[in-house]
Amino acid sequence: MIQALFIALSGFGLLMALGTVFARNLVNAALFLVAFFFVVACQFVLLEAEFMAAIQVLIYIGAVTVILMFGIMLTRNIQGDETTTVTRPWRLLGLGVFGTVLAILVLGINAHEPWTALAVRPEFPVNQDTTTERGQAILSMTPTVGREMMTRYVVAFELAGLLLTAALVGAVVLAQHEASDVVNANADIKETSEKAAAGA
Amino acid sequence: MSPTDLNMTPELMPLLAQSIYYDKVDLWLWIRWGLYLFAGFFGVFPLIVAYMVLAERKLAARFQDRIGPNRVGPFGLLQPFADFIKLIIKESIVPKGANSFVHLLAPMLTLISAFLVLAVIPFGIGLAPVDLPSGVLYMVSVSSIAALSIFLAGWSSRNKYSLLGAMRGVAQLVSYEIPQVMSILPVILWAGSLSLVSIVQTQQYDQGWFIFSPPGILGFVLLVIASIAEVNRAPFDLPEAESEIIAGFHTEYSGMRFGLFFLGEYLNVFAICSLATTLFLGGGSLPLQGYFAGEAQHMLAAPFDASKDAVLKLNAHHEFPMNPGSGFKIHITNDAGQTEAFQVSHRVGDDLHLMANRPVDFQASVNSRVSASARPDYATPWHISNLVMIPVFFAKVFLMVFVLFWVRATLPRMRADRLMAFAWKTMVPLAIANIFLGAIWFEIVIRPAGGFGHKLIGWAVTAPLAIAAVALVFRINRNSYKSDDPERRPTLISRTGESLLAATSHGA
Repeated sequence: MIQALFIALSGFGLLMALGTVFARNLVNAALFLVAFFFVVACQFVLLEAEFMAAIQVLIYIGAVTVILMFGIMLTRNIQGDETTTVTRPWRLLGLGVFGTVLAILVLGINAHEPWTALAVRPEFPVNQDTTTERGQAILSMTPTVGREMMTRYVVAFELAGLLLTAALVGAVVLAQHEASDVVNANADIKETSEKAAAGA
Repeated sequence: MSPTDLNMTPELMPLLAQSIYYDKVDLWLWIRWGLYLFAGFFGVFPLIVAYMVLAERKLAARFQDRIGPNRVGPFGLLQPFADFIKLIIKESIVPKGANSFVHLLAPMLTLISAFLVLAVIPFGIGLAPVDLPSGVLYMVSVSSIAALSIFLAGWSSRNKYSLLGAMRGVAQLVSYEIPQVMSILPVILWAGSLSLVSIVQTQQYDQGWFIFSPPGILGFVLLVIASIAEVNRAPFDLPEAESEIIAGFHTEYSGMRFGLFFLGEYLNVFAICSLATTLFLGGGSLPLQGYFAGEAQHMLAAPFDASKDAVLKLNAHHEFPMNPGSGFKIHITNDAGQTEAFQVSHRVGDDLHLMANRPVDFQASVNSRVSASARPDYATPWHISNLVMIPVFFAKVFLMVFVLFWVRATLPRMRADRLMAFAWKTMVPLAIANIFLGAIWFEIVIRPAGGFGHKLIGWAVTAPLAIAAVALVFRINRNSYKSDDPERRPTLISRTGESLLAATSHGA
């Protein structure tokens, strides 16, 4: 039952991923992406990691996709045309990069552990025999994630924070107008509205 | 975990809403969930929405010195049904240039997100449809889908006004989500759990309402303001500002599709009021219940050996765990006078499973006294408690709803740049300061598990700090507005709006 569900979900997810790549319309592509992220959240639920599922929906659907859509909304051209399609050499190059990345991933994961290996959950902070394992796993998901993030993955966590801060500062710098720009724009608007008022 | 373990788990278990408190899914549970779905989500909540709309129209009329709808039925009580029939029989027009699938998807997403939020609200004892261990997070994440639906509605209509409304809406929702979530953080810290049921229990039995503390008051106010912005109601209703952009993102919606947006908006209002009630107003608990509470002592019903079984037998009809979450402690004192604190893990029938955090060498017998840092009224069966708790819960929720109507009838709409400035310059700094205040309150009052005396000290320490934080943030912002002469006003609306209009006119 779980296996069948997993396969059905994964198949759906792969279809959505393909849709994301092949959709010509950017908004449709983003919608496919939302569906794909949702499938990932479902996979987390199947893995009894509902905390991760909620985070997945919150971050990827609630934040990343919405910002993405916001970007799409402000772009002029959301329907693919000759400027968004690529020529043959570029396609070959893209195919080559895809193959290389796939090979690295497959080999890398396989070299570390075989496909059939089962990962061990991190230690739970409670005594093992007091309740069912499933209950413990779900209950202690949040503290476990928090603890791992502050101990084992602290460097990665801090680096990610630094990266995001840098991105934020960069965005502010890019978005900030020169003071004269603002004044000019306001003067323009004022002029237009005055003209309109005079016309009326 | 070996592959055989995977097969041994009851097959459907992980799918059933991850409700860890039910190790056995029997027919009764199926029936209960079925009832929630059909009675609740198809009957009760739409009915509540229908009468909320009527109440809003009546109240807004009173605020404006009018009478309001009074033609259909006695006092206009059948008006919602008339409105509903009108919406149903109206033609649902889809613009020719619209993306018809997305145009249909958008109102459905609004409704889905509004209903999903309601799935974790604990309306009474045993009346939380699902009690997720990370319920708060779940709720925040599903309500963030609303931003997506607003965007899709605005974009798919292929209408400049719709797109402008959607742009405003998404910017507003993304901005106000941050202070909304951050104002919840102190509550999570105090309750030690993300489960909404645990949060209510902590307030009901242990701490009293969280609003009765300076960081609680500040957090509550921030949460309510951010939530009003999240549901796009006045004074934050810029996405549908009818004097500027017709009806914003739902300009091109008519008939029942518009009705779905309408239903979604009012469901969201109900949901955020329930949320504020659950997080800060103690759910269905009475005022000051748990605030001055002393330890209630109760007999253990069966011999208890913590090192062995860690299962506490309860008598039937104990109110005890609504659904016990983590962070809920039971103290057991044995004949020798030793006391140990145990966390409740879960409940199966009348067995209360406790978590033994350390190897315990602790014997307790029939005569041992059990007290919980929770102070439940063991004598009251939960059915009886619900008779009080559910009306109290709904009274609080509708008080909040009334406040929202009041605010809507009173305050004018904000300017777009002021709206964003308010989120980023006032709400976010205050929310961050409030997290620190919440931590101070936690260290003074909650960690030492002190009584009313600790609460007084907590007030004395955090109240001046809270006032100072608010004064500081407003002072800095006032100074920033002083230099804001009209010539140099930020031009968020006009600039992006112009480029947006240019963008849409060249084809979307």
